[in-house]
Amino acid sequence: MPPRMPPWKKTLLTAALAAAVAHAAPASAEVDIPVLVPVTGFLALEGTSQRNGAVLAIRHAADRLRVRSEVIDTGTSPEGAVTALERASGRGKPLAVAASMLGTQMLAMLPLAEEYGIPLVTVSGTASITERGNPWVFRFFPGDEVTKTAHARYVVEELGRRRPAVIYQTTAYGQSGQAHLRDAFAKLGVDPVFEEGVDPGIRDMLPVLTKAMAASPDVLVLHLHSGPTALFVRQAAASAAGIPIVAGSAMHQPSTAALLEPAELKGVCAETSASPVSGGSPEIEKFTADYRSSFNTDPDAFALGQYDGIAMVLDAAAKGAATPEDIRDVLSQTTYKGLAMTYRSDGKGNMARSATIVCYDGASRIPAVAKRYEAVAGQ
Amino acid sequence: MPEALTRGLNPLLILAALALAAYALFGAGPYGLRVLTVAGVYAIAVIGYQAIFGQAGALSLAQGTFFGIGAYVTGILGSTSGFGFAVTFPLSILAPTLLALLIAVPVLRLESHYFALATLGIGQVVLLAAVEWQSLTGGANGIAGVPGIDLFGWRVGRGLPLALFVWTLVALGALLAWLLGHGRRGAAFPIMRETPVAARTLGIDIDRLRLEAFAVSAAYGGAAGALTAHTQRVVSPEVLEFPVMVTILTVAVIGGQGRIAGAVVGAVLLIHLPEWFRGLENGYLILYGAALLATIVAAPWGIVGSLERLRARLIPERPPAAPAASAPPARPTSKPSLPASSAPVLYVDGFGKRFGGVQAVSDVSLRLDRGRILGVIGPNGSGKTTLINLITGLEKADAGKLYVSDADITGEPPHRRALAGIARSFQTAALPSDSTVLEAVTAARIAIDSDIATARSHAMHFIVQAGIADLVHTRCGALPPGPRRAVELARALARQPLAMLLDEPAAGLTEDEQASLARRLRAAADDGIAIMIVEHNMPFLLPLADRILCLDEGRAIAEGTPGSIRRDPAVIAAYLG
Amino acid sequence: MILAQLMVNGIALGAAYALVALGFVLVLNATGAVNFAQGDLVMAGGFLAVALAGFIPDAPGFVLLPLVMALMALLGIAVSATAYLPLRNRPPVGVFISTIAVGIILQNGATVLFGPEPKAAAPLFGGGAFTIAGLQVPTQSIAVIATAALLIAGQYWLFTHTQLGRRLRATAQDPGMARACGIPVTSMIALTFALGAALAGAAGLLLSNQFFVTPSAGSGLILKAYIAVTIGGWGSLPGAVIGALLIAAFEVVVSYTLSYTAATAALYLALLAILAVRPQGLFGEASRRRA
Repeated sequence: MPPRMPPWKKTLLTAALAAAVAHAAPASAEVDIPVLVPVTGFLALEGTSQRNGAVLAIRHAADRLRVRSEVIDTGTSPEGAVTALERASGRGKPLAVAASMLGTQMLAMLPLAEEYGIPLVTVSGTASITERGNPWVFRFFPGDEVTKTAHARYVVEELGRRRPAVIYQTTAYGQSGQAHLRDAFAKLGVDPVFEEGVDPGIRDMLPVLTKAMAASPDVLVLHLHSGPTALFVRQAAASAAGIPIVAGSAMHQPSTAALLEPAELKGVCAETSASPVSGGSPEIEKFTADYRSSFNTDPDAFALGQYDGIAMVLDAAAKGAATPEDIRDVLSQTTYKGLAMTYRSDGKGNMARSATIVCYDGASRIPAVAKRYEAVAGQ
Repeated sequence: MPEALTRGLNPLLILAALALAAYALFGAGPYGLRVLTVAGVYAIAVIGYQAIFGQAGALSLAQGTFFGIGAYVTGILGSTSGFGFAVTFPLSILAPTLLALLIAVPVLRLESHYFALATLGIGQVVLLAAVEWQSLTGGANGIAGVPGIDLFGWRVGRGLPLALFVWTLVALGALLAWLLGHGRRGAAFPIMRETPVAARTLGIDIDRLRLEAFAVSAAYGGAAGALTAHTQRVVSPEVLEFPVMVTILTVAVIGGQGRIAGAVVGAVLLIHLPEWFRGLENGYLILYGAALLATIVAAPWGIVGSLERLRARLIPERPPAAPAASAPPARPTSKPSLPASSAPVLYVDGFGKRFGGVQAVSDVSLRLDRGRILGVIGPNGSGKTTLINLITGLEKADAGKLYVSDADITGEPPHRRALAGIARSFQTAALPSDSTVLEAVTAARIAIDSDIATARSHAMHFIVQAGIADLVHTRCGALPPGPRRAVELARALARQPLAMLLDEPAAGLTEDEQASLARRLRAAADDGIAIMIVEHNMPFLLPLADRILCLDEGRAIAEGTPGSIRRDPAVIAAYLG
Repeated sequence: MILAQLMVNGIALGAAYALVALGFVLVLNATGAVNFAQGDLVMAGGFLAVALAGFIPDAPGFVLLPLVMALMALLGIAVSATAYLPLRNRPPVGVFISTIAVGIILQNGATVLFGPEPKAAAPLFGGGAFTIAGLQVPTQSIAVIATAALLIAGQYWLFTHTQLGRRLRATAQDPGMARACGIPVTSMIALTFALGAALAGAAGLLLSNQFFVTPSAGSGLILKAYIAVTIGGWGSLPGAVIGALLIAAFEVVVSYTLSYTAATAALYLALLAILAVRPQGLFGEASRRRA
């Protein structure tokens, strides 16, 4: 656990560091990378991960580039995202923006980004944001077609389970994941024995767990947000459900595991693109340490994906890409070895084709990588 | 109209509008224009909301729902059917309006918070449908690719054209709302908001007014929703969620409840406010909240309302000249040849009413005759006020019939009974405290006269007649008891009723005032009105009344001339003794 | 068996909701004002419990509870001083907005101070569950029900059996008359806000152990409190408790037979049906009307 420091102090420190860094930068042309993410409202947890990942990438590039970056809250409405993009583009010429992971916000920003010609660098796994033929969107997190394929394949191929009960959230994240899960299971010849959507405001998970168990499943497949995932896992542990749980990417977030006792996590696995707290390479360990010391919290895969995405943009800029068009070309045509994986566009802006399954051993809140799926074919 | 433009806050508002236009045309970049466009969209939603919330005074929590439905209609039709703005926009207005009319029947009869809860509940059901009905709405992901505004081949581009387009609609919407909300309907709203019961007895059909206001609010909500779908190019369930409703409510109150200018001022301020602080990352909304709190504390009547008060205090304006009084034509009756004395003007045949276990009124019959005064006496709780409420229709009788000029009106609602010729006053004078005497009396004429100017000058006639012409611009809330009674009597007389029912008209009056009241009532009777007076004050009533009816425990125990009643042993036992 | 289990869970959740609703009704009855910040006060109570646990490590919830309630009472006084008293003799809708503003400040203040992660507070007496007649009953559920019952009973006793309670009631019924009788009306109103916020704090502590707390949790709670209070009968204390239990029953018991979505829809349709039959709520109007 990192030393505890109140977030406001952390914010001040961050600002001071940023100022110091900006001072020390070489006198090359200033690069503008606004960060447009939800840092208030119900997606503040994920949005803050995005923000931190982007800010850290900018800080790490300080020896090579002078970067101007403003964090603008998008809230959770499409309107807020479009307004934020207008604001960012009106105050300079952004080379690229770190864009919200909320699918509906991305969909709202896409037409404007195309009109202005600004690359959007996001970790949104949801929605058909890369299927609209828009050349300005770049997704540094495996889309649902990748993660849900891995999710289903792990359940069927590795665990050998064929009677999954699927519990998803009635949000954009949940519904998109559920649709892709259903397709992925169908390809494997498996039909879920139970499917139900849960409102994120629901507190007691016993009813849905009871109904799911009544369908006699052999595995519980979750696609819920952070808090509800923890509620469900805890309820399942208390009821001694006795079958494995394979959860969605929210489970891998350290803040989710922090809500549970390690024993409650025994036998729980989760789909994600990466698990920075699990380590794996010196670079990832350095990233995790830097992230902890900068933001006083543990990084998740969204932070890492956003870090990699912005790092790729900055790498291109340092190598001479001077316009948004240059950045778009580099992002869409070159390969970049990031910390989580190697990124290369599939032609639609999907940069990440790998997914990871992590599992908890019941003794610690740090999961271990159980299976890695490389270059997963989309549907 | 030059005078209207220079009165009140209007010079200030015109100046502000010009400044805003100058900013849009010359000062604002794409970002500024976008924020301004969003403000315009909310202004339209709130102008409509002012009809139901501000004017009709009903706390509707469905405005966000109407907004969202408008957005979905445009989103679904615009992205799939290929229809242009000329088709989708009217349909986006129509759909929520139809929903409003549909839910109005069960919902509008609910009072205050129960109405609010019902509208909230309906909104939540619609939101659930939008999330779950994925094949139609796209579920939680919503609908992307909503086209921009395309009007008969003219594409309204982003930035200045869109801002101008939206603000043109704001101006048109404001004008339309002004036309709908002034005149006779506008005069009815304060009465119905502040004293709904009295409004019914003035012949104002407040159910219909509420229904109209609800439908108007839905139409504006739908229009704003349609525009929001075009400006953000996607529609997701977020447009139906409660924060939209909270924003609309906040804009309405901060701007000034019930005021069109308030809707516009509030929208421009509140949509811009968070943008000024947005650079502060996740702390900026703390400042926004603090600014909101400071604004409502500094301007508790809303910005426009508080400015009006401030202006009235700093630069008192001469009140507008009182309208010229003109006597209204005599009341047209369905039976002009009504014989003067034979048939009663109003006849109650065996009224009965139970409240829970108490028989409040039991088999009471009475007749009111042209030019005669009936006094009704009885101890407290003997059913006198209930009797008036039964006659005016505020309470429904369990048994009995009611006839006015031989017509059976037993089943009619209060406002129809009022139109049939029944007027009343209340025990505690039910005058709208924020309205002037002229406005209060004018309200009695709006169901009779064909336009507001006529209603005003006719009202003035009765004000002059009542001898209170000097109070014409005084707010009713500031009146002492004597003049309050005078205003209420003038308001009842202004209805030119066939029958007039007065509930303790002499209570709280000085002896001089009582004498003057008695003279006026006698004069009214001499003009042919049938009068019923419920009163405890015997020295006032007995010399005035032609006949007396005495109630005890809901029953008529005696009826006769004042002289015979004074000697009636049952009356003496129950009351006088 | 499972139904009994669900009932226990439902009553525990309903008991916590009842505390939220009661805090709302208290202020409503004393001032006629709708306190839209009540949900965010609950959220603040939850975070306060989490923060206090940082200062007093390993303290069980029942030790923290009085501390949280006391600190929340101070917050309640601050809310009344900033958001209610300046608007006391102004149009009542002003208080809607001022309390909405307080809610915004609390919610975003929590995000800045505590971060956006969900947090869990300590359980009242420790975790785990015990078995009665084959029924798995979480200790926390029983503790929540007992604590809520105790607080509700305590509030009832305060209002009916103490001098202070009589003064509070007198203030609620007719502030003008109360002032004429020498009751310090302003202090009584501030005290009512303090009580309402203390109940919110208790609810926040109770809810945030089992169900976690996030800065955005308040908006859902105020909606539930508003529904509970209205459907019970605007201003009725027993109505608010019954309303809260009804909502929890739909959330936990009805959603066992229907899907969550259908149960939520059923809740709202049931509300509309209740209003159609009883337009003044289940227990009738108890609060004085603001004319």
